[in-house]
Amino acid sequence: MSIRNWIYTFLNGKKIGVDEFGNRYYTGKGRKLNGRERRWVIYNGKNDASSVPAEWHAWLHYTVDEPLTQIAANSYSWQEPHEVNYTGTGDAYRPKGHDYKGGRRGSATGDYEAWKPD
Amino acid sequence: MPSIKINGRDIEVEEGLTVLQACEEAGVEIPRFCYHERLSIAGNCRMCLVEMEPSPKPIASCAMPINDGMVIHTDTDLVKKAREGVMEFLLINHPLDCPICDQGGECDLQDQAMGYGLDKSRFLESKRAVKNKYLGPLVSTIMTRCIHCTRCIRFAQEIAGVPELGATGRGENMEVGTYVEKALSSELSGNLVDLCPVGALTSKPYEFKARSWELVKTQSIDVFDAMGSNIRIDSRGSEVMRVLPRINNSINEEWISDKTRHACDGLGRQRLDRPYVRRNGKLEEESWDGVLSVIAEKMINTSPKRMAAIAGDLVDCESLVSLKDLMQTLGCNNLDCRQDSGAFGNPRSSYIFNSGIKGIDRADVILLIGCNPRWEAPVLNARIRKQYLNGAIIGVIGPEFDLTFPFEHLSPDLKEIKNMLEHPSEFSDKLAKARRPMLVLGSGALAREDGEAILGAARDLAERVNIVNSEWNGFNVLQRAASRVGGLDLGFVPKTNKDLGTREILRAAEKKEIDVIYLLGSDEIEMDRLGDAFVIYQGHHGDAGAHRADAILPGAAYTEKNGTYVNLEGRCQRALRAVFPPGEAKEDWAIIRALSERIGKKLPFDNLLQVRERMSEVNPIFSNVNKISEASWGEFGSRGEIKDSEFIQPIENFYMTDVISRASATMAECTEVALAKKEKAA
Repeated sequence: MSIRNWIYTFLNGKKIGVDEFGNRYYTGKGRKLNGRERRWVIYNGKNDASSVPAEWHAWLHYTVDEPLTQIAANSYSWQEPHEVNYTGTGDAYRPKGHDYKGGRRGSATGDYEAWKPD
Repeated sequence: MPSIKINGRDIEVEEGLTVLQACEEAGVEIPRFCYHERLSIAGNCRMCLVEMEPSPKPIASCAMPINDGMVIHTDTDLVKKAREGVMEFLLINHPLDCPICDQGGECDLQDQAMGYGLDKSRFLESKRAVKNKYLGPLVSTIMTRCIHCTRCIRFAQEIAGVPELGATGRGENMEVGTYVEKALSSELSGNLVDLCPVGALTSKPYEFKARSWELVKTQSIDVFDAMGSNIRIDSRGSEVMRVLPRINNSINEEWISDKTRHACDGLGRQRLDRPYVRRNGKLEEESWDGVLSVIAEKMINTSPKRMAAIAGDLVDCESLVSLKDLMQTLGCNNLDCRQDSGAFGNPRSSYIFNSGIKGIDRADVILLIGCNPRWEAPVLNARIRKQYLNGAIIGVIGPEFDLTFPFEHLSPDLKEIKNMLEHPSEFSDKLAKARRPMLVLGSGALAREDGEAILGAARDLAERVNIVNSEWNGFNVLQRAASRVGGLDLGFVPKTNKDLGTREILRAAEKKEIDVIYLLGSDEIEMDRLGDAFVIYQGHHGDAGAHRADAILPGAAYTEKNGTYVNLEGRCQRALRAVFPPGEAKEDWAIIRALSERIGKKLPFDNLLQVRERMSEVNPIFSNVNKISEASWGEFGSRGEIKDSEFIQPIENFYMTDVISRASATMAECTEVALAKKEKAA
């Protein structure tokens, strides 16, 4: 967070909530932009827009009036927890045979099925 | 010959052509959807409109016969406008799903829309949608794309002879379908996909698998029946994606059977991709080096009299000549390429289709003996049907079967041949009076114990009723196996009467008089009769032969080698390699050549060219590629008794006749559908 943002948030921001990653969400006190209230997020740590979970994302983009934290709390069992985008980090997905995973591909690429005795 | 003017150029064309055909001859291409050279003229797509003086309106060129002095214009504004109008109407109800359509890239509508399509739609109403129909496991339908050219209906009715497809409703409500939902019962149903000018009928096994422009196209020859149909193998990487017909008017015209087209998925399953040797009753993986030395040692230490070789149905001539030379240099003449023990021998005219496949188009009376061409060679059956439509009379001796055309069923018993010889019947009179009578003898009949007698009787009958004369030879043997004629031409048979053929080899092996048996792709013999013999199996699929084998040499399938095949009419054709054999498998002639070196009797050829030179040396027909070599008539067959036993069709299930089609999942599905249909009918 830059000094400028910190001062702006201190003077004008009204805290609405914190998500599971520790990102804090604010609206402007009274001051409006283009006819609607200002909403912004102060990231916890590195600025990473993909760390905004869906329930806050909807609120942040003016899709809903209130954050959907209630709905998110009662999520279905099959719903996966939100994950940030790992592209470019060590946790990124790499297929078998990738240079960072040993660089050795399987010998048969499986375009035919070999006969096995018995 | 009428003379007409096309785009200001005078040309003379044959009588009876249509304007479209005349334009074609003049080198002017006319767009069309419903017109097809081999089908009747429907004239319902209206895409082929041209201007004819002095007619104020454009005419449909495909349905207009030419007259002397006609003046035709195909490049005027009126013609262009008319075709654009037709195209706009066609596109009204055609979905814009080219990106997900299997026909994309090879679609007539797509191509012609480039020339005549409007770049925007003026149609604001709702498009129509049509429910998809079920046409069996091979043809997938997306009926909303149908433009009602009726090619499929005409094909089913005219060529395939199964009038199962038709149209219900009129105008916008017209739908093509089978009325009552059922799978098509034709062995040629795959051709509907080729005929469909749009993506309404597409290939079900190939659905969403590849795009036409990413495939490598290789010209090849089919091996699933003995016709030697010309095919194009489309492959991507190391996988054969699909098989399509090539046009060859003297063989398959432009059709191929469903087995030819769809059994190619069997090429990716049950493959022999490495050598095996049996040790302590178990097959173990082995290196090429190891397996060759095991076999070489065995063959060196066995007396030539106690060795034998049998070749199967899918084998190319290169490997046949190599194995024959190898066995003969070892002094062994117990060779046979007739794994069904058919009574085929000398002269050449006794085992080929003498009139040629094209000869069917000239025959006026056809007698089918002990064969079911619908299953043994479906494309040939379509040709017989075409000749039936042209007025030929067809008689059948043998079991009754739906051949897609009516015939006179003379007798279920093959003894009828002898009867006809002794007491001229109504049908033998018809044969005798015919200008070009034809006799088609099934290979199943010749594979019986009394095959020689049947062959002899058929030959006598042929001479009696003038089937054979100086300008016409209508004595035809309908072979089933792609390798059979080639094998017989190369002399892959016992040299003298003392040497053993398939029947005697099996008998001797049962009595343990044979120690080494070399099976070259031979899976259709009774494996449990091979006794204790050391069985060498060379082939491409793990089937009966591989299960019994003591040593397995992995070879190449027909798509994986440059091979020569001789079709049933004696036409020598070359197939090109489309993909490489899987794993460690090698080309078959090269395996035999390597083995010969291990044995110490090195065969005198190092490359394919030299093998082919050797083939031409053995039989000059092999230097006559793509042509039929004349076969002289001679004495053959015996005068023995024809036995009373019932004739059993050699093919039980059309969809599974060889190692590749038995491994194919598509063919298994077709078999299931066919069985269900049979049960329902019973």
